[in-house]
Amino acid sequence: MSGLAILGQNVFSGIAIGGVYALLALGIALIYRSTNVTNFAQGDITMLGAYALYILLEQLGLPYPIAFLLAIVVMGIFGWLFQRFVYYPLRNRSFLPVIIATIGAGILFQNVALVVFGSIPRKVNPVFASGGFTVGGVYFDLQYIVILVVTAALFVFQYLFFEHTSLGKKMQATAQDKTMAQLLGIPVALMIAFTFIYSTILGAIGGMLVAPIYFVTNRMGSTLGLKAFAACICGGFGDVRGALIGGIAIGLIEALGAAYIAPVYKDAFPFLLLLVFLLVRPQGIFGEKVSEKA
Amino acid sequence: MMLEMKGVSASYDAVQAIRDVSLEVNEGEIVCLIGANGAGKSTTLKVISGLLRPNAGEVIFEGKQIQKTKPEEIVRLGISHVPEGRRVLPGLTVRENLELGASVRKGLSKADLNKEIEHQYELFPDLGRLRNALGWTLSGGQQQMLGIARGLMARPKMLMMDEPSLGLAPIIVKQVLETTKRISKEFGTTVLLVEQNASMALSISNRGYVMETGRITMSGTSKELLSNPQVNEAYLGGRSRKLKG
Amino acid sequence: MKMNLNNPTLREKFKPSALIAIAICLAVVVLFPIVVTSRYIVNLVILAAASGVAALGLTVCLGYTGLLSMAQAVFYSIGSYAVALCTTRMDIGWWGGMFLGLVLAALMGLFLGFASLKVSGRYLAMVTICVQVVFALVLMNWREVTNGADGISGIGRPWLFTELDDAQKFCWFSLAVLFICVLIIWALKTSKLGRSMRAVRENEMAAECLGVNTLRVKVIAFLICGVLGSLGGSLYASGFLYISPDSFVYQNSVDFLSMVLVGGTDSAFGAVIGASILTFLPEALCDLESLYLVIYGCIIIVVIIFMPDGLWGYVDRFMRRFSKKKMLPEVKQALAVGECDCDEVLHIENIGMHFGGLKALDGVDYAVHKGEIHALIGPNGSGKTTCINVISGIYTPTFGKVTFLGEEITGMKPHIIARKGLTRTFQNLRLFSKLSVYENVLVGSQRAGGSEEEIIDRALAAIEFVGLKDVAYEQCRSLPYGHQKLVELARNLAGKPKLLLLDEPAAGLNESEKEMLGDLLIRIHKMGLTMLLVEHDMSLISKLATKCTVLNFGEKIADGDVDEALTDPQVVEAYLGTKEVSEDDA
Repeated sequence: MSGLAILGQNVFSGIAIGGVYALLALGIALIYRSTNVTNFAQGDITMLGAYALYILLEQLGLPYPIAFLLAIVVMGIFGWLFQRFVYYPLRNRSFLPVIIATIGAGILFQNVALVVFGSIPRKVNPVFASGGFTVGGVYFDLQYIVILVVTAALFVFQYLFFEHTSLGKKMQATAQDKTMAQLLGIPVALMIAFTFIYSTILGAIGGMLVAPIYFVTNRMGSTLGLKAFAACICGGFGDVRGALIGGIAIGLIEALGAAYIAPVYKDAFPFLLLLVFLLVRPQGIFGEKVSEKA
Repeated sequence: MMLEMKGVSASYDAVQAIRDVSLEVNEGEIVCLIGANGAGKSTTLKVISGLLRPNAGEVIFEGKQIQKTKPEEIVRLGISHVPEGRRVLPGLTVRENLELGASVRKGLSKADLNKEIEHQYELFPDLGRLRNALGWTLSGGQQQMLGIARGLMARPKMLMMDEPSLGLAPIIVKQVLETTKRISKEFGTTVLLVEQNASMALSISNRGYVMETGRITMSGTSKELLSNPQVNEAYLGGRSRKLKG
Repeated sequence: MKMNLNNPTLREKFKPSALIAIAICLAVVVLFPIVVTSRYIVNLVILAAASGVAALGLTVCLGYTGLLSMAQAVFYSIGSYAVALCTTRMDIGWWGGMFLGLVLAALMGLFLGFASLKVSGRYLAMVTICVQVVFALVLMNWREVTNGADGISGIGRPWLFTELDDAQKFCWFSLAVLFICVLIIWALKTSKLGRSMRAVRENEMAAECLGVNTLRVKVIAFLICGVLGSLGGSLYASGFLYISPDSFVYQNSVDFLSMVLVGGTDSAFGAVIGASILTFLPEALCDLESLYLVIYGCIIIVVIIFMPDGLWGYVDRFMRRFSKKKMLPEVKQALAVGECDCDEVLHIENIGMHFGGLKALDGVDYAVHKGEIHALIGPNGSGKTTCINVISGIYTPTFGKVTFLGEEITGMKPHIIARKGLTRTFQNLRLFSKLSVYENVLVGSQRAGGSEEEIIDRALAAIEFVGLKDVAYEQCRSLPYGHQKLVELARNLAGKPKLLLLDEPAAGLNESEKEMLGDLLIRIHKMGLTMLLVEHDMSLISKLATKCTVLNFGEKIADGDVDEALTDPQVVEAYLGTKEVSEDDA
């Protein structure tokens, strides 16, 4: 393999995995924008999405599209339950109890998964059985291409939905000013529930996309979730563009760092970058203000 | 009678904000609520629009009790509240802000919506010029205009405006209030206006109420109040009387 | 901490009931390893004690100071590896290793402490997570030092009068360490530092404006957190004689967090209870081990939602129902205010404060002289509060100069300005709402310095002065609003102020409360305290103020005697507005 091909290979896989981080980060960003909640359970929601696909696809033997759609429906319902039982009771408390509750929820999800599925890693088959193809020395895994296509499609959908539908605009209004949204007759509680449902689905889709690449385990979500956070902060919390660019940046840095600096520290690079961001440029790439009011 | 408040008291946590407030607004009137900062004027509006639940008393709108109704439903009944500080949605454009103003109206066709938005642009020419600008880029006066126009998009029976003059230069205050008067005439909209700028508010309204430390202390036609020396008591502790002689 | 038994807080702390409790705990520590001989249980007790010590670090950091750290396993690993390496590879011994661990952990604590200068809240939590993740990977992969995933075995145990070579002796040692740490952290809570920490947790800005160096307090909190984490780690390493990197990952940090949350974050006992429960529960339910994990997740969510003060919070409230009502110590002196040796107390020259394009203040001048009650008035949005914020150091002005008692204070930090004797109240009360009235006032009293005894005397005098003696031990948030306002006043008076800035003291008060406040302020004024008063209530202004400055749109429009200023045509216009709108059919 030539040097250029190695570079191309790493850039390709970095961007693809970065796309998954971006989806998770988008979910975190949307919830943060509309409720000010930092959802530390997003990673574990991803894990549940992967298990949902595993049950429907591998255990019940449903065809891929049906399993995929059914998993989305199930996870959407789950998102509603999550906001009803974790967010809603704590909605008027300060950020600390809410963060801790989402961490607690994450622990709960991991442990439920452990009880139900055990500690043996589960395997999910890729969307296309035929593996991939090689162009110019770079191997293009079809699952990675699926990830890229789905991520791109979801971000386009996100754009169209938020900018060109009435529901999307109502959700934006809710995120920007809840009191004013109420005064305009927008049912704010419902909009927040939608936001949680949508964000949960985004996380779950991320999980379904990586399920064939990683093994599905109850712990798979925690690193994914933390990296999505890193992406979110690098991109400026609550910023849609930021989530996309932050996610891809994290994916690339991880892939390139592993390839050219030290493979064993693959997981460390995103966090080192984030540390630098937090201490040197806390407002993120696009400059949303970080410092919180007392 | 369009709106009636009977003995309403309300508080934020431990702080009692208004006590035993009773007032009436008749159809087609412009009624103003004046008084110094912290007198409870904004709180009164918040109680009417459902943002704050009163601890006692009744709020009756067109014969129906609404003190326990949710804010989003009160909007549907026909009360539109333009809150203090403009509250333009910063990340949406002028046009989107206006569209959301009409979101409570069921069955409004796209064409009618466009027609009404065009009509707002005629009322407020600045907004027409800036229709695609994001909310936060507008100047204070433009945001105030947008707030009012958005409030009108709900086609309310009653429009409540909270301190439209706050932080605006006098010439713009004048524009805003003149527009208010035109709106009331043109659409027959009832207006409940909260203002610190007492002289201006009284000069465009039919009737007025004066609030002091959470209570209504005076009421009457605007003409009466304008010439009442006690009105400035509420603002300057009676100091300007000496000046006027 | 100076141990002086004449010290009144120490006397209060070590009252008979507390001494009995301490004696019982001590007896348990001494007897437990003698009575219980099961090797299995002894090992669990060592584990619980080690976790308990580390969890105490979070009590200080999260519980007292309100800083969320998710890196306690990092400190734990530092202590563990220091002891492991020093007793196996190097001939430094357990004590040397432990000490080395403490130093390294303290350095790491300093780093996190200074990070809290840059970021706060959830972003600070994220910094700790980053450190945790990176550190865990280093432990796993720096094989030359840590031996990687294989871990280190054959770890030594300390010598303390004798070799603590069997588990029972080491168990005794661990419990003794835990006991000492609990005692220290328990005593810390009501010390000067502990009060400052809890003030920072409750309201950082108010603490800063009362003279608490909030940055220093946060750094110290992380330092203590790190040192205790490391000490716990040292106990853990020698308890099990073997360590590996997978005991020090993010998950373990979350475990430590769960311990203090379940036990209760605001008390040293909470950490011990939490650590014990989360250590023994899985063993008790070991047949259901996997199900236990679900229960564990549920417990955390349920505790957070329904029991925000943790288990100890419940016990504490239960015990309080039976304890008799606490009495305030006797008031020994009358309230005193600071002496100004300069006639011009405050001088503001050409101050401007621009926020982007908004000119909140634009070239304002005025002076406040000794013994005056100077009113600063103006319509809504005219820049009064901004002005107070500039004077007290919360904002650094865009241009201009603030002089206090002949010394320029422009751009100084609020706590430095506060310590010079310039103190303020806030428009929307910023009380330390979970602290008692007495503690609130003690924090304010600390500003003027002196021994604990002097601090207490001043606080008592201030509480007596505002008439809150009967509710002194109540939590502030349970008081009616009028009383809360008085707490804020007392908190400022206890610190011997030279100049008091009052930002709308009468807002939200009813007529009779306003009357009372007015009388109180007059009494304070008679004691010789200079005040700058921002207020909307004109009756209060006429009652109190001697001089007055009027602002409108960030500029001064009148200055001088109150009556003169209020009849100035420009002022009348600013308040009542002009009648520019056509009057044809009004």
